[in-house]
Amino acid sequence: MRPTLHPLPKLALCLIWIGASVLVFDLRFQLLTWALAALLLWRGARVPLWKLLALSVPFALFGFGFLITSLLFNAESGFAVQMAREQGAVQPDVSPGLVLFFRTLACGMVSALFALTTDPGQLVRALMTHLRLPAPFGFALMQAMHLVPDLGRELQTLRMARAIQQGRPLRRLPRPTELMALTIPLLAFAIRRAGRAAIAMEAKGLRPGHPRSQMHSLPLRTTDLILFGLGLAVLAAVLLLLRQG
Amino acid sequence: MPDPLHGEGVAIRYPFAATDAVGPLSLHIARGERVLLLGPSGCGKSTLLHSLTGLIPQAIPAERRGTLRLFGQEVQTRSPADWADRVAILFQDADQTLAGFTVADELAFALENRSLPPDLIAARVTQAIGRAGLAPDWATRRIATLSGGQKQRVALAAVLAQDADLVIADEPTASLAPAAAQMMADLLLAPGQTILIVDHRLGPILHHIDRVIVLGANGQVLVSGPPAEVFAQQGDRLTQMGIWTPLATRLRLALARQGIPVPPVTAVSDILPHLPPSADLAPLLLPRPVPPGPEVVRLQDAACAPPFGPTVLRGISIALRGGEVLGLLGPNGAGKSTLATCLSGLLPPREGVRTGPAGAIAFQNPESHFRADTALAELTAAGVAPDKAAGVLAEWGLSQVAQQHPFTLSIGQKRRLALALLTATDRWPLLILDEPTSGLDHAGAETIARHIRRLAAKGTALVVITHDADFALSVCDRVALLAEGAIQADGPAPGILRGSALLHRFGLAPAEAAPLLDWMDRP
Repeated sequence: MRPTLHPLPKLALCLIWIGASVLVFDLRFQLLTWALAALLLWRGARVPLWKLLALSVPFALFGFGFLITSLLFNAESGFAVQMAREQGAVQPDVSPGLVLFFRTLACGMVSALFALTTDPGQLVRALMTHLRLPAPFGFALMQAMHLVPDLGRELQTLRMARAIQQGRPLRRLPRPTELMALTIPLLAFAIRRAGRAAIAMEAKGLRPGHPRSQMHSLPLRTTDLILFGLGLAVLAAVLLLLRQG
Repeated sequence: MPDPLHGEGVAIRYPFAATDAVGPLSLHIARGERVLLLGPSGCGKSTLLHSLTGLIPQAIPAERRGTLRLFGQEVQTRSPADWADRVAILFQDADQTLAGFTVADELAFALENRSLPPDLIAARVTQAIGRAGLAPDWATRRIATLSGGQKQRVALAAVLAQDADLVIADEPTASLAPAAAQMMADLLLAPGQTILIVDHRLGPILHHIDRVIVLGANGQVLVSGPPAEVFAQQGDRLTQMGIWTPLATRLRLALARQGIPVPPVTAVSDILPHLPPSADLAPLLLPRPVPPGPEVVRLQDAACAPPFGPTVLRGISIALRGGEVLGLLGPNGAGKSTLATCLSGLLPPREGVRTGPAGAIAFQNPESHFRADTALAELTAAGVAPDKAAGVLAEWGLSQVAQQHPFTLSIGQKRRLALALLTATDRWPLLILDEPTSGLDHAGAETIARHIRRLAAKGTALVVITHDADFALSVCDRVALLAEGAIQADGPAPGILRGSALLHRFGLAPAEAAPLLDWMDRP
């Protein structure tokens, strides 16, 4: 999978691979999926290894929950593990918790592969062009992407204003009580900003249900379909080899 | 051929309001006419602009009366979105109203909404990028990575790409450095363009304007005519009403009060031939000096960075004494706000040393300071004794809004309330004001200037971050020029604010009053 693959086949392929990871209860498959996604990010998308490791941390923490539950509370957590075990033969015969742990890591790395190699703007445009996502929804998604950094900046300003009022330096990380107190002002900021953006978009001619052209609609090329097919073929081959081995 | 804009008896009233926000008034704009709409803060200028394509009442609830026609057609017969094929609107808060994900997306947005052919859109986008002076590689830049000033330039480029028959612009130069503001004004107000513009910064735009319409505080037309005529005949009255007038007009009136008659002029340099050698310009242009107190704060070889961000300023050494007012000028994105957080002690420098007590910042958006339900409650929450809070409000001219929610105040009132909160307890020996006059009318800016000098006289050390060189000249003892990650100049305000070579190098402009400073220093 290369970074220039059309976002939609890439999305479909990633979802199919994540689906396979959920259904196939095999440690080797999870490890292979994780390694393949990490390799594509490292060598193909030039993502530094430290960043890949950092990205894995939240998924690893989540996966540790399964691992610890499985190891320490095997009897109590039997139902979920048994359900997973019954989906397929556990190969090799390892702790189901370990499989669940690496499943989390594998799904996380495939998600990261999609997120880090996809231009969000192109994805939204592709959804509007090929899957008929209504333009107001598409541009609302783009606004949401603009809003995230703006909310971050507003949060910092509000935190600084609070620090001034309380006569203390700015803490590096806010305390939970501080975050709670800032929720309403941030929400008010987000609502006001969204309202202004909606008015501006209307003033620039955006109308629900009205046809609109696109300056750069991303076409689905033959190479995109070939790469999509190749990805599916690799998945099928891996599953076949695991079943035979 | 019908006029692009024609309104008769237009009045707008917001829900539950007892009076009209603007009007009733009549206005028309002829093809190719460039009209400046002036008026005091809160007189309804933005409300009027929003009504012109029907955003009021269709998107913003309010009642509009009277008749309003665009190109001979009743406004309400089409939706605001439909009017986008003939009318382009440049909003006041351009940075919050961009729709696209990349710069090219934004420039193409309005054209795509009109279903124009992709090739035509691409050509218009390329052309607009060139006209707006943006580098070609800007097309693929993400909007979220741009600074506020850069976003404003993109918003301008989007208006140029729209190639509309009528442009409506609400304070398009408000947050731009002088060079960018002048470029924006030159493009928007090019001959042949039909435009209705609201702007408080008259310097970059006035020589392009064909007609000025001035609204009074009640939202009705006070006077309308060519700028030279309006300011010559009504300049005194408009200034007294707190409306921005050209600096030359204000100086002419001030000189008249000194008994020095000067005929009506709109350029400061035109005043020079009429000045007698004995004229004393210092009280008109410069702040009254305050004896400097002991040093309040010092940064030594400091490296400063925003929270979680990379270091943007290095080798910063600057000190400030009590009673001193330092102007901090620099192009958009120079790191002025980052230096402010470092100077105030809110964030420690990444390298180097900061000495001195903590200071406070009055943020550009005054709403960041508010957390109570009324203006009065804000003061008591800030530690002001309840029996003294009313007096503080009176001192800042806010008595009549004591029981109002802070978010419902006008921008000038919000700025004054934020400053009142920070200064009411004498808690802060150092105060940093970030763009304190942005969006204010002349009366509002004068009030802020008066309070800055009052605080300086009490021994407070102040830093004023501003793009307005003439405001800096009128309140600052010293000016520091911040650019390219370092302090490029630091010295007495009159010296730096007329050093045109240095200022031009960093996209800034000398004070409009520079010729008068030269006159004062003549042998």
